[in-house]
Amino acid sequence: MTTALGLALLCLAAPLAAAALSVVIPPLRQRGTPAAALTVLSSLMATVASLALLRIGPGPGAAARLTVPWMVVQGRALGEVGVRLDGVSMPMLAVVCLVALAVQVYSLEYLRSERPASYGRYFTYHALFLFSMNALVLAPELLQAFAGWELVGLLSYLLIGFHVERPAAGRAAVKAFWMTKLADMGFLIALLLLFVRTGSFGWDVALPQRTAEAIAALLFLAVMGKSAQFPLHVWLPDAMEGPTPVSALLHAATMVAAGVYLVVRVDPLFAQAPLTREGMLWVGTVTAAFTALLALVQTDLKRVLAYSTCSQLGFMVAALGAGSAFAAFFHLGTHAFFKALLFLAAGSVIHAVHSNELSAMGGLGRRMPVTTVTFAVGALSLAGVPPFAGFASKDTVLGALEGRAAWIPWTLLISTAFLTAFYMGRVLVRTFLGRPSEAAAHAHESGLVILGPLVALAIPAAAGGILGGWLARGLGTEFHLHLGLTPVAASLAGLGGLGVAFVVYGRGGEAPLAAKLAALDRYGAIDRTWTWLYRRALLPLSDGLRWVDRYLVDGLMNGLGWGTLKAGAVIRPLQTGRTRDYALAVVVGAILLLLLGGWR
Amino acid sequence: MTLRAFLLVAAFLFSVGIYGLLTRRHAVALLLSIEVMANAANLVFVAFARFGGAPGQPLVLFALAVTVAEVAVGLALVTLLYRRHGDALLDLASEAKG
Amino acid sequence: MTDELALLALSVILVGIPAIRVVRTGNLVRAVFWLALTLLGTAVLYALLQAPFLAGVQVLTYVGGVVTLMIFGVMVTRRHDSAVVAIDGRNRVRGALAAGAFFAVLGWAIVRTDLSDFTPATTPTTQALAHDLLDTYLLAFEVTSVLLLAAIICAVVLARRRDPELHPAHPTPSREEVSPR
Repeated sequence: MTTALGLALLCLAAPLAAAALSVVIPPLRQRGTPAAALTVLSSLMATVASLALLRIGPGPGAAARLTVPWMVVQGRALGEVGVRLDGVSMPMLAVVCLVALAVQVYSLEYLRSERPASYGRYFTYHALFLFSMNALVLAPELLQAFAGWELVGLLSYLLIGFHVERPAAGRAAVKAFWMTKLADMGFLIALLLLFVRTGSFGWDVALPQRTAEAIAALLFLAVMGKSAQFPLHVWLPDAMEGPTPVSALLHAATMVAAGVYLVVRVDPLFAQAPLTREGMLWVGTVTAAFTALLALVQTDLKRVLAYSTCSQLGFMVAALGAGSAFAAFFHLGTHAFFKALLFLAAGSVIHAVHSNELSAMGGLGRRMPVTTVTFAVGALSLAGVPPFAGFASKDTVLGALEGRAAWIPWTLLISTAFLTAFYMGRVLVRTFLGRPSEAAAHAHESGLVILGPLVALAIPAAAGGILGGWLARGLGTEFHLHLGLTPVAASLAGLGGLGVAFVVYGRGGEAPLAAKLAALDRYGAIDRTWTWLYRRALLPLSDGLRWVDRYLVDGLMNGLGWGTLKAGAVIRPLQTGRTRDYALAVVVGAILLLLLGGWR
Repeated sequence: MTLRAFLLVAAFLFSVGIYGLLTRRHAVALLLSIEVMANAANLVFVAFARFGGAPGQPLVLFALAVTVAEVAVGLALVTLLYRRHGDALLDLASEAKG
Repeated sequence: MTDELALLALSVILVGIPAIRVVRTGNLVRAVFWLALTLLGTAVLYALLQAPFLAGVQVLTYVGGVVTLMIFGVMVTRRHDSAVVAIDGRNRVRGALAAGAFFAVLGWAIVRTDLSDFTPATTPTTQALAHDLLDTYLLAFEVTSVLLLAAIICAVVLARRRDPELHPAHPTPSREEVSPR
């Protein structure tokens, strides 16, 4: 086993060990700080290992594998589990570990006011999450990927509902869980189909076109759930009930990106499914545009960012639909950094004004300088202003669409880019400029432990575009910025959006948004549809199954017991205690034996 | 052929004894029926001894001795039954009733 | 053939009728005497079967010993308030059915079996019988004596009278008794 593979295993083993220790040794967890220390330490180890891998790991086009067979039946293994290092998994691993480390360090301060037992529980979940996400990223075959996928879904549920005393959090957690679980049926069926057709869970196989389309479409269904694409996007805004660091890590940078990562990972498979790709292009575009519109009318800072995440994920999915896994992957990486940064900075603001609402903010630029600057860096990157990282990756996405001459999606996404810049401009103005609100007047800058990760994340959020070339080579393609229609249009959209926002909102207050209120209506309709389905379809089905369990299954068991007792009561009178009756039995038996003997 | 006749007679005797075994209420009457059955069995042995079956007559003697022992013990039990209930009817000994 | 018929008729008279009387009479004492007749009839059949010694033993043991025992049994268990004990039971139908079925099956087996291997053989003399008892069957002979001894002891232990002064309601072992292991 080479050093590289050993480091990869470390990325799995360290967080798992931290989680396991916190689970089996309750005092570590219940006293809070020990579990936190374990988790952060394991994340640090994983981060260092992942960064080292970028240097010593396999070069472009090469891959390294270390696996063991899993579930050997009649000499054949069901699948392989272990690690796979290549130009796709190594960068993702580094991104995940870096963001996770930043978020965990940030959480040390952010959640300090929690009870020790809750604090410890939080960090245990984080360790388990990092392990699960790494298992997904490093998966050599789809079986392990599915396992990691489901595990991160579970951790998402646990972490969204972390504040157990808040009913809204519990509801949001359940909503997220069952919506993604529903979509995960696609993943499961795709796995079955793949195994039946090819006998393994690897993705580097040639398939007949119909099978490839089916598998790709089913996988995309799961991606729609996990990466919050229309119409399965409604769980993501509700997931903001979780603590802000959780929103940053899971619902911006990593878990929701897992869907996009999956498609990048199994690119050879999707390459054989052009129809599914066409569908993805449109779903991504529609998602991006629609959710950007919704972000415009949100009054809760975190919900703006949540819809923004849906929108950017739509960009990535559209890029995948256009056939450019690199574009999607690049945007995934930059988005992870700047969106996590935005969430963490938002957390800093929320912590200071004790509210999520934009109305509680204002004029914080003076009182919270570091937060303001880092937030601005993230916002500019998201808006796609050159030369920030977000511009580079967004440009690549749009360039992929241009390359395929998909003009309608291209136009829609350029407009969405404008909207993105516009709503971020709105947030910037209302939060950091203008007159402070009551709460904002008393705000003060956050501590070092919070600001540190902000600054750390701001660097790649700003300058990450440089790595485009290196990333592309790892994937076997190239990257270069050039002067052309797309970059110019994208830059104009970004700057223009910000400018208009400053103009519209600079005067303070909310601008009349008559047309946007119509969008609110549409949003309500989708959410209501899902709620209706849940109440009218899923719950009655569960009730029906419970009836079956109680009366049929349990009834069968109870019936057996009752039947035994009844049979005993019926047979008991045979024991009369009278000698003559027993003698009769003996005689009858003797007759039967004689007959038996005679028959032979 | 005469053997067959004797065997049939013995079978008949045995069946008569069975009827008594299943019908009689008084303990001593039951023992009498059992005696009839044992007698029938001995008849079979003697018949076979006459027609060349081994071991023949000595077996009859032993069977007889066993029967006598059984009668002795049986009557002792009947005595116990009588002492406990004041009467020797078999239905009185029904503690095995389930 | 006619031999057989004559034999069967004789048997019916000698043992069949008395046996039926044993199991059907309502009077216990009479039942005992019918048994005596049955046993006597059997002794006659033994004589016909070239087993004179056995016939003699039958008379001595059964008619003499066993019947006497039965008489004693009747006397001991007689209820003081009635002279004749009703001993008949219900369930006559099922008893008859069972007995009939038994006879049918057994009779059918006897009739259907090939008995041609069994030819009349010479029966031993009394001297030969005595010799066999103490030679070939010596072990069985000794074991039988032990069996009879055991039966005697058992009967004595079971039926002995407990001291009524000590425990009038429930007879308990006296101090000489050895507890069973």
